[in-house]
Amino acid sequence: MSGASAAKPPRDFSYINARRKRPSEYEAVNLHIQPKLGNWWDNGNSYLRTPEGREAFSEDSSRLRHPDWYDFRDPSALWQRPYMRMQAEQERAIERLTEDVADSLATDIDPTWLIEIVQNHYAVWSFVEYGLFRGMFSASREALSDTVVASMLFETFDRVRHSQDIVHYMLALEENVPGFDATGAKEAWLESPRYQPLRRLVEEISFGVCDWGETVVAVNLCFDPIATEVGVLRLIGALGPIHGDVVSKLILNSVARDRRRERAWTEEFVRMVTGPDVPAAAANRAIVAEWIDRWTPRAVEAVAPLAELYECLPAAKVPFGEVLAVAIVHQRQVVAALGVDGVG
Amino acid sequence: MPSLVSAHDRVKSVEWTPTYVDHQPRYPTRYKLPKKTKDPFRTLVREYLTMEQEKDDRLYGGFEDVLSRTAPAAEADLGWLEGIKLALPIVAYGEYGAEKCQSMLVDTVDNAELRAGYLAQAMDERRHLNQEMYLLRHFAKHAAEPCGFDRGMQVRGDNIFARAGRVCFDNFYVNDPIECALSLQVVAETAYTNPLFIALTRVAALNGDHATPGVFLSIQSDEARHSANGYATLAAVLSEPDNLPMLQVDFDRSFWRLHVFMDPLMSVLFDYFGRGRMDTSYNKLWEEWVADDWVGNYIGSLEPFGLQVPKYFGHAVERMKWSGHTAAMVAAASWPLHYWRWPTVTPQHMEWLENSYPGWYETYGQFWEAFNLLEDPNMEMIPLQGLSERPYFCRTCALPCVFPKIDEATTRVRSYDGRKHAFCSAPCEEIFCQQPERYEGTMLWDEVWDGVGLEEFIVTRNLLREDGRTLVAQPHTKQGEHLWTIDDVKRLNFEISNPLNNVTEAPELVKQADGTLARAEATP
Repeated sequence: MSGASAAKPPRDFSYINARRKRPSEYEAVNLHIQPKLGNWWDNGNSYLRTPEGREAFSEDSSRLRHPDWYDFRDPSALWQRPYMRMQAEQERAIERLTEDVADSLATDIDPTWLIEIVQNHYAVWSFVEYGLFRGMFSASREALSDTVVASMLFETFDRVRHSQDIVHYMLALEENVPGFDATGAKEAWLESPRYQPLRRLVEEISFGVCDWGETVVAVNLCFDPIATEVGVLRLIGALGPIHGDVVSKLILNSVARDRRRERAWTEEFVRMVTGPDVPAAAANRAIVAEWIDRWTPRAVEAVAPLAELYECLPAAKVPFGEVLAVAIVHQRQVVAALGVDGVG
Repeated sequence: MPSLVSAHDRVKSVEWTPTYVDHQPRYPTRYKLPKKTKDPFRTLVREYLTMEQEKDDRLYGGFEDVLSRTAPAAEADLGWLEGIKLALPIVAYGEYGAEKCQSMLVDTVDNAELRAGYLAQAMDERRHLNQEMYLLRHFAKHAAEPCGFDRGMQVRGDNIFARAGRVCFDNFYVNDPIECALSLQVVAETAYTNPLFIALTRVAALNGDHATPGVFLSIQSDEARHSANGYATLAAVLSEPDNLPMLQVDFDRSFWRLHVFMDPLMSVLFDYFGRGRMDTSYNKLWEEWVADDWVGNYIGSLEPFGLQVPKYFGHAVERMKWSGHTAAMVAAASWPLHYWRWPTVTPQHMEWLENSYPGWYETYGQFWEAFNLLEDPNMEMIPLQGLSERPYFCRTCALPCVFPKIDEATTRVRSYDGRKHAFCSAPCEEIFCQQPERYEGTMLWDEVWDGVGLEEFIVTRNLLREDGRTLVAQPHTKQGEHLWTIDDVKRLNFEISNPLNNVTEAPELVKQADGTLARAEATP
């Protein structure tokens, strides 16, 4: 015998810089899958380039810089299994409630709400979520660590989920409420003056931004806190039950849950790139502030035409201007807490 | 409640062409794509979540209940688990590349019908990746020999075979997006998932491994949808006649890149780590699943639309009989470089190999008999020392140029752009010549480690166990005796070297008018 190993084996992954003593399940199943320039997987830069000659990943895919993108951890620590379980439960709840109230949809929901808000507005929001899904999903190809990509992928799926929940609900209403017809949503999205600033914004973020970091900031720190907040969460989620619409309320509670999670991972992302030990922290802070500056006013501008929706609802005790102002204040508080408050 | 058909139709209508920005795809393709095609998936988010959650509950429920209580990982065949140790870190990367592929396709393929399928596939790929990592960790915790399971993901980048796996799976997302789809969905997921997830499931079970089959079968239950995605993408591409010439070239390349890595890997896992416990061989399964089903039926059905059997299929057939055995021999000969152990090839196993591959013993039998003698460190020799000249590494596939057999290798060495390049075969040379830019600045394993002592490689690459002296790799799976240590390696005084350094003359490849390369002497 020339030297048997006497020391105990680690009995776990030994390469993960775990937050606790042992890697969490989230860390174990997600970390160090993606190659990064100069790491173990890439040693010797030995691998294929694209037909144009670029490497698989490029530090220049974002203006943000960080010495180790693999430091990122999603605060919700989601990996595929708990994510699927959580969202399957949400969908079952929505489907069950819709079935339960289907027979009474025509009588229980206020007619003005049904037509002006649900048919003419909420149906259009399925396009908003679908557009943002496309932008976030394609941006995730370039993100520089597997943990960031996981958060982007789940958010992508969240947006399609909401888009399809709207569709399912519209179909249930069409089947159960005489005269209800949401098939005009596409025309409204493409042509109605009310939605053109919003469509422009969705298109600019999803198809005009090339920096994956900017996509994350624009969607989760600018678009959602203002446009989603004012356009659906505060309008439909908060006022739905008053108008007898419990299904929209449930869907949007579920969406609000997703948005809180998405804001949390984005805040963690910004905290990471602006952390005290990050050499490029100051530059990163300025870049994020610049992005906040660029997209916040556009989000405000995009939802301005939605004022008429609030105005048509007598039960909307808080006027549109005030709802918008509160959303802006909240968004400023969030970005100020992150030290990236660039809004003048 | 509304019908699924109406829900599906309405979901597809939530799609528009941007007009406020000039949408230039992040991942442009050379292909023309039609706006309309059929969605093979027809799966809505709501159904998808329910379906996958049920599968997850079954799978992870098994881990949490039966497998954690009965601990079969500790009882599975030690030799087989070494193969799983080798394979999982490589396959997991393939899943990740597959996920990335979908995020490119969703941007490039301007077609609502297919986007839903791409998103669901991306979620599936994340599922598979997480399952495989969960399995890897399960073995790190419970296997009788955990060393290697704990760090395979870390050390694979410096492993000669895992690096070739990286090159293979890079094709899923470091490419024109349509060629990525061909590589992934049309070749890998249509031709190779049966051998990978079905055949290896059977071998695992026969070797007492009850954890891997659950994971692999659960993964395979998603793969039919992925190959349907590939068929739909292919149908869309084939509907534009202008696409056909480049489609055939890309398809030929995709097939070869997958074959050249996957078949030796699968063959080694099946025929060597499987320990001869199956009633069939990898080559027989290949003939059935890849040659008959995929080439004969699947590709055959597309011939009326202009797609032909891959150009390099004949080369693949030629290589199949012996390439797995040659790969096994090279992997065994280079055992100190790895993060797994080589199981002893017993007389019974040799008999199975000879029966399954008549003529095997004549070519390979002597090597394995000698290899079994060298498992003892007191012999003070590793097989690499016995080679008068070490094989080159192929610039295109990154594998050693030893195929189909070492003494019949079709190696060729060329020079281009001030560097020397070896190729294992005519297809690999041709593929390099088609796109030389894809290899600029890239370094193969022996170029990175040229001049470094074996001892230094092992120490710096984290290939020692917890005691700081015993190697992770061993030329056998025995416990507690005959274990090689770093002191044994020191005595060998072995240095890694790049054999291309010794090449003084190599025909030059020069650029043609169309950007491809050809040998200078062949240029008019």
